[in-house]
Amino acid sequence: MYEETLFLRCRNMLVSFFFVYRTQIFGLLTGVLFGFLMSRAGATTYDYHAKMFLFEDFQLMIVIATAVVIAMIGVWLLKKTHIHAVATGEEVDFVKKPYQKGLIIGAALFGVGWGMTASCPGTIPAMIGEGKVAGFFALAGILIGTMAYGILQSHLHLARQQAEQQSTPSKDTD
Amino acid sequence: MEVIVWSAWLAGLAIGLFVIFHFWLMGKPAGCSTGYGNVCGLMCQRVSYFREGEYRQLNNAKLWFLLGIPLGGLISALSSPEPWHFNFSMGMYDEILPQTLAGKAIWLVFGGALLGFGARLAGACTTGHALVGGAMLNPPSLLAGMIFFLSAFFTTHLLFGT
Repeated sequence: MYEETLFLRCRNMLVSFFFVYRTQIFGLLTGVLFGFLMSRAGATTYDYHAKMFLFEDFQLMIVIATAVVIAMIGVWLLKKTHIHAVATGEEVDFVKKPYQKGLIIGAALFGVGWGMTASCPGTIPAMIGEGKVAGFFALAGILIGTMAYGILQSHLHLARQQAEQQSTPSKDTD
Repeated sequence: MEVIVWSAWLAGLAIGLFVIFHFWLMGKPAGCSTGYGNVCGLMCQRVSYFREGEYRQLNNAKLWFLLGIPLGGLISALSSPEPWHFNFSMGMYDEILPQTLAGKAIWLVFGGALLGFGARLAGACTTGHALVGGAMLNPPSLLAGMIFFLSAFFTTHLLFGT
């Protein structure tokens, strides 16, 4: 009869824990890395945002331009090699965000928010980690805004469904 | 709170490599603002929008990505020479924002709400559209990134009165 030692049991538990929660663990680790890089790039310092838009300091502009060019080369290489993703084991999915109704208005609203708070959704959690109290208020605002969009969409969806239900029986009577 | 800031070229290189690394590890483009929907869905379970489509599975990598970002900021702040502490200073914005604490809070919450609502209406935030979408040369993302920048540019110029 095969008996597991304590060491083996612990190891198996750790391995299965890591396997079951691998997407969450990978998500957490990439998040930590992203927050650290945002902070080191200066994206969590308010003055860099103001100076970028007033054309006084080009730190963030150079950061995003360099990052986009490097990532573009990387995406091209990844597409060429048909590499498989670690978390899913499937080929990397370069899904592109589609054009959606309201993109222009949404982007304009987002820009106003960016100018007002000098932060964007990716940097606000990093600001909180750095101890910037302003980040907590901006975070509350983001959650309110996202919630408002979700409630609005749910109501629109419901209204559309009701309109369809009302229109179908009337067609039958005609 | 001052943190160490790398030179723009080095930071840009690191973030570019991060985007590639994220593609290889997760098999999906990186994104920030979608994760806030997961938090909303967990907080309020009755809103059907946060139960369908990309929000069917709420405990996913996007949520944990968002939870990881503060830890990254904390590590960055702790490894900087200045000791970690809470502060409410916003640099150049201190002069132009409302001077009272409540006024500042309302201003930030309102600005944050515009960020959250606008990001969902546009489909993604600066990371998803400008950084990752730009790297994939996706036309809607390039358009959105340009409008993000122009709109923020005009807002900042209005605020600073130049």
